[in-house]
Amino acid sequence: MPPAYQNGPQSPVSFAGRPGMGGMGNGPQMFALGQGQYPGAPQGPGGAPGFPQQGGYNSFNQPGPNGLFSMGAVNAPPAPLADTFERGRAGAGTGLPATGAQGYRERRSDGPPSRDPRGGKHKKKRRMPLWARLVIGFLITLIVLLGGGAAATYAYYQFYLSGSVNSIVNQQVARNSGEGDPNSSLTNGILTGPRVNILLLGSDTDQKFQGKFIAQTDIIVTIDPSSHTVGMLSIPRDFFINVPGYGMHKLDEAYGIGGVALSRMTIEQDFGIPINYYAWVGLDGFIKVINEVGGVDVDVLHPIVDDNYPDDVGKNANNPYALKRLYLAPGPQHLDGPSALEYVRSRHADLVGDFGRSVRQQQVLTALKTRLANPDIFNKLSAIAGDLKGYLTTDMALPDVLKLMNFARSLDPGKIDKLTLGPPYSSSGTAPAGGNDAGADVVIPNCDLIVPAIQKMLQLGSKAVCNIATGDNGNSVPQPLTTPTPQASSTSTPQPPYAPDTPQAHPTSPSWNAPWPYATSTPSVYATSTPHFYATSTPQPEATSTPQASSTSTPPTYADGDNLAALFSDSTGSVLSGNLANLFGVQSLLELMLMGTFESTDVF
Amino acid sequence: MYSRGKIQFMKRTTFSWSTLLLLALLALSVQGCLGIGGSNQKSIGTGSGGQQVSVNQDVFKGKFYLTISHNLYVLSGNNTSQELVNTGNVVDPAVSPDGKWVAFIQKYKQYSDLSVVSTSGGRAHVLRSGAGKFYPVGPFMHNSFVWYAQPAWSADGSTLLFLSDLEKEDWYAHTTDAPMLDMQVFSIPFNNPQATPKDVAYASFGDGGNRDASYRPGHTNQIIYTHYTYDSATRTKQEIQLFMENPTTISKHPGVYYPGMPGTGFDPGIAITPTNVEIIEPAFSPDGSSIAYVKRNATNISLDVMPAPPDNITATPNDPKTEQQALQAYQTQSSHLLTQLYVQEPAWSPDGTQIAYFLYTGNSFDLWIANLTRDAAGKYSVKGSPVQVTSGGVDGESHPVWTN
Repeated sequence: MPPAYQNGPQSPVSFAGRPGMGGMGNGPQMFALGQGQYPGAPQGPGGAPGFPQQGGYNSFNQPGPNGLFSMGAVNAPPAPLADTFERGRAGAGTGLPATGAQGYRERRSDGPPSRDPRGGKHKKKRRMPLWARLVIGFLITLIVLLGGGAAATYAYYQFYLSGSVNSIVNQQVARNSGEGDPNSSLTNGILTGPRVNILLLGSDTDQKFQGKFIAQTDIIVTIDPSSHTVGMLSIPRDFFINVPGYGMHKLDEAYGIGGVALSRMTIEQDFGIPINYYAWVGLDGFIKVINEVGGVDVDVLHPIVDDNYPDDVGKNANNPYALKRLYLAPGPQHLDGPSALEYVRSRHADLVGDFGRSVRQQQVLTALKTRLANPDIFNKLSAIAGDLKGYLTTDMALPDVLKLMNFARSLDPGKIDKLTLGPPYSSSGTAPAGGNDAGADVVIPNCDLIVPAIQKMLQLGSKAVCNIATGDNGNSVPQPLTTPTPQASSTSTPQPPYAPDTPQAHPTSPSWNAPWPYATSTPSVYATSTPHFYATSTPQPEATSTPQASSTSTPPTYADGDNLAALFSDSTGSVLSGNLANLFGVQSLLELMLMGTFESTDVF
Repeated sequence: MYSRGKIQFMKRTTFSWSTLLLLALLALSVQGCLGIGGSNQKSIGTGSGGQQVSVNQDVFKGKFYLTISHNLYVLSGNNTSQELVNTGNVVDPAVSPDGKWVAFIQKYKQYSDLSVVSTSGGRAHVLRSGAGKFYPVGPFMHNSFVWYAQPAWSADGSTLLFLSDLEKEDWYAHTTDAPMLDMQVFSIPFNNPQATPKDVAYASFGDGGNRDASYRPGHTNQIIYTHYTYDSATRTKQEIQLFMENPTTISKHPGVYYPGMPGTGFDPGIAITPTNVEIIEPAFSPDGSSIAYVKRNATNISLDVMPAPPDNITATPNDPKTEQQALQAYQTQSSHLLTQLYVQEPAWSPDGTQIAYFLYTGNSFDLWIANLTRDAAGKYSVKGSPVQVTSGGVDGESHPVWTN
């Protein structure tokens, strides 16, 4: 019997009217069977004419006789497929003019010497052969890349990158009245003096917010240069606390009300934590960068299912708290920007919570670094820096970012002290009627545990406070729905089944917040040592001794070509050895962005 | 004059030779491009600025159904390669045994549809739609969206297996008070796709569920699938194994079996690979006697083959003796075919003498073919050098189907 739909009225698939598929929708495609020229490729021995050769990535472990099959793919010399077949990924083709190409244009504009109107009065110029010009161009490029001249390096940076970079760094935000300036004690630059605290703010930057973002991520990275230790304090976005001058609000709203300055002041006045610098990251920047490098190829370790993924990028104009469902198939596959972000951000996709998430992040980082390790990345550096523009801002100067990231790269990730102020440091509650966010689900800080914890992590001593309520020390804080069970003070991160700082205004299914019966210790199935594609053993030279100015004064000027060139020189010189280190500072900026996106320092 | 004429002559001569040489090279190039001569290659594009994939049609017989840029294609060795569905959201094609239909999945933001299209093209038909909506339940947000994935046909074409989370709200009692989001295996009759799906294979909670379900050729009462779960001792270590099962056991014994984690769930599945290796993507040989699969560990991924376990193992699930017996074929008779970066998604040729798979080469996933040979003990190995079928990239997460 034929299927019912063969005979009866049909419900035609309305292709055009379907909503786009998250992360995969490429729009209507045109089938071009037989159209266009089949791109030719270097011919290997015994190979079929024109068929592309196997790229040089792998070699079979069963080498067979040449020409066993009438095709040269296996036995022919490697020729990267990318040279022959345009994949057309987003961002492909953006690049800098090659030296040779420039020379060609000059020759054409000059015209043939024989047509010189001055005729025989001028000696006929002998044009240099093409091969000679290519060699010279290559040598010039080589000299520049090898750091043959700080001026050349600096010129490259200034010409191609400084515009974007300058819109990212040195973005000073004046401190509010009543806010202290801890930078006044930093007389010799970052990491050369006392402890520094950096407020890492992360916002979804979708157009639904129309430029009025809130900060879903509020992390304080605290660095003690003398002891070479780093701590990372994550404060849940829904912490219901006093926002100076605006009463009780969720912490994430402080950024929406008063931007960086108010977020910074809130942290300082409510918890006594001085903030030296800030860095703000927009999630769409990650998507743009991944797309810029053509996506990443990742072996998805297991099926990713999540019914409560925050739908906070893309087009979702009316509901900033929308949810999205995820289903990512397991196995090796190509992920574009949105899919890669989903893969690394999902907190509900496995039982091992943040550990599983960390493993996924490392996979994507490794894949991204593989893309960045391609020398062709120089053609995209300017575009990548441009992608970061508008999605990453900091009041640190570029040399400070470079030094900070070099410092972080030298750390043992396993020794970074991480503390999330989830349960038992806080508990679920409801904002009281009559005030801001009335009736909304909020997170109530547990000051008895928070104060000793931040005292220890940030070495605050008696400066650690918990002034989370308006006017006093917690008397007006609404009662939590559940009473937290105080535990012994500890700086170890409690591991709820799903981290409580998942952006969610709508409460999720009760199961996600229910007590978890299973252990969440580190599973042994994953290798925790992810190979690093960047050199991490050779710290970059600290090339500048320019004193840091207080952020309330004129920001320091790092336009000095010698300083930047010195910072860049080692990294650029290592490009030709296959080790792209800092990419004129863009790598450090990328890492800063990834720290905010992944809410982790483990991005190197 | 002479001098000038000589110069002109010489110029003409030079021009002629270089032009001839150029034309000859151009002709050779065009010949290769157009598939004239000894090679039969097809260029498949997916629109301006999109992916362009070339297919070497000389190196295989029959047809491949696969997706490129999430559009459905059929690649043919007889120069009839074509695009069947171009909605840009297609995954998981599966061809009916009679070769008339392709079942596939169309994936949207919140859900997916199980659809079917004729192998000769035309309009696609939705068999089951996963469309739904979010709705509040007290203070909590639930939804009625459903995922469908990986359809697979029974040998007679009457039944479709598929993966879904369609019972996600139904198993709170057995899944630690949580919706069963993990994908489980269900079946529907092809001629009545709106019928209530039958439960075929349950998932364990928490690691994504089952994948790669398919019937065993020649055995109407056996299926195979990949099962993702966590170990029963710590609930932190992934266990990724192949399971076999009688697809009718659950539906014939209502109320007996239920999903859950190891030690809490109870289902008729029986593992045919051990817990200490990650085995995924099983593919039965056309005669149902062998299973190709992908073995994954921390350092590499390989393509291997094992004989199918004895027929009777699915008749007595949850029996310790049977469980031991089911593992023996893997432990004693598996054979290694090749190890390559991201080798995946094996598919046997219709005559069982070749195997196709995806490899990651040149920054893209592409289709390759290897000839197989079998020794006296029945173990498989690759004969000669594998050959590349596509260049430019196919969708790695969506398996290929090889038909006559």
